[in-house]
Amino acid sequence: MKMPARLLGFLGLLLALGLPAMPVHADSMASKLEQLGEMTYLKVTDLRVARRNGLLNVQAEVTNISSSNERLFYHFKWLDDAGFSVWDEEPWKPVVIYGKQKHLITVVAPTPQASDFRLVLQSPNNTTSSGSSSTTTWPNE
Amino acid sequence: MNMSRPSLLLLSLTAVMALGLGGCATTSPEVSSGPVKYGDAKAVETVTNEFGSTDLQTIAESMARSMLQSRPVTQSRERPLVTIAEVKNKTSEYIDTRAITDSIRAQLLKSGAVRFAVDINAMQNQTDELIRQNQTGMYKKSKSKKIGQMEGADFRVEGNITSIVKRSSDIKDVYYKFSLMLVNVESGVIEWADEKEIRKTTTR
Repeated sequence: MKMPARLLGFLGLLLALGLPAMPVHADSMASKLEQLGEMTYLKVTDLRVARRNGLLNVQAEVTNISSSNERLFYHFKWLDDAGFSVWDEEPWKPVVIYGKQKHLITVVAPTPQASDFRLVLQSPNNTTSSGSSSTTTWPNE
Repeated sequence: MNMSRPSLLLLSLTAVMALGLGGCATTSPEVSSGPVKYGDAKAVETVTNEFGSTDLQTIAESMARSMLQSRPVTQSRERPLVTIAEVKNKTSEYIDTRAITDSIRAQLLKSGAVRFAVDINAMQNQTDELIRQNQTGMYKKSKSKKIGQMEGADFRVEGNITSIVKRSSDIKDVYYKFSLMLVNVESGVIEWADEKEIRKTTTR
């Protein structure tokens, strides 16, 4: 879903002023997430953004709805106003999220040029991609 | 169609040759003869328990990001001049700590928030160049860079990496702790410090 340009501008102004972190609404939250396959047990339940000291701060809450531990791989893409990437590809980061845990991923943009982001997520155990587990496209070698 | 026997033979020979050639010349821009393939340099590497590329990358990234938010970087009027001192390897394995500090430096420089002064390891090259320009008599006076104009760093970065390794009959657990600090050269005050911890466990 597209946000009206005026609303986006207002949000940008709020960010520029360094106001408290704004929770990202559900539909725009989905636009910030790139999941490699649907995650069955891990859900991004909250996403907030603020600009502090000129750098974009992002916090994502990932909830494990299953009672067993789940592994998650993630990395961020940093984009400028025009949607261009302003940073090299980040390394994939592995985390363990315990059963029923709400895990916070908190990051700071690497450069002040970054004004937008994408959170790329991959969970090796619960992605519903087709094919056997040996042929899934994990970011794990 | 009415073809004579020799021309039919020629046609089938050409077809066989074309097929044969097609077999080895693929349309992919790759010359390969075995199991070698390129992978993702940013992938999570868990081949063994030892210090690996993912550890290096995540440590460098988390340290650079943390330092970007430190007070000396965000609050100073002009971009601070920093130099890299040593990161001591106190683990039991061989780790090129310079590879980590080089990555941290590259990320900080790319962010544009910090400037770096030549560190001790690059000092020989720096003095050699200045001496060559000034003392060999081969350079125009007006075009040579003057001696005595170098800028001293405001801060130096130093730290260490330690590890705790534990083994049982079926588990090997490695814990790394990378600590880094930013020291004000003039006052000796530690202005910022951060740590990154990594745990890797292998079950047999």
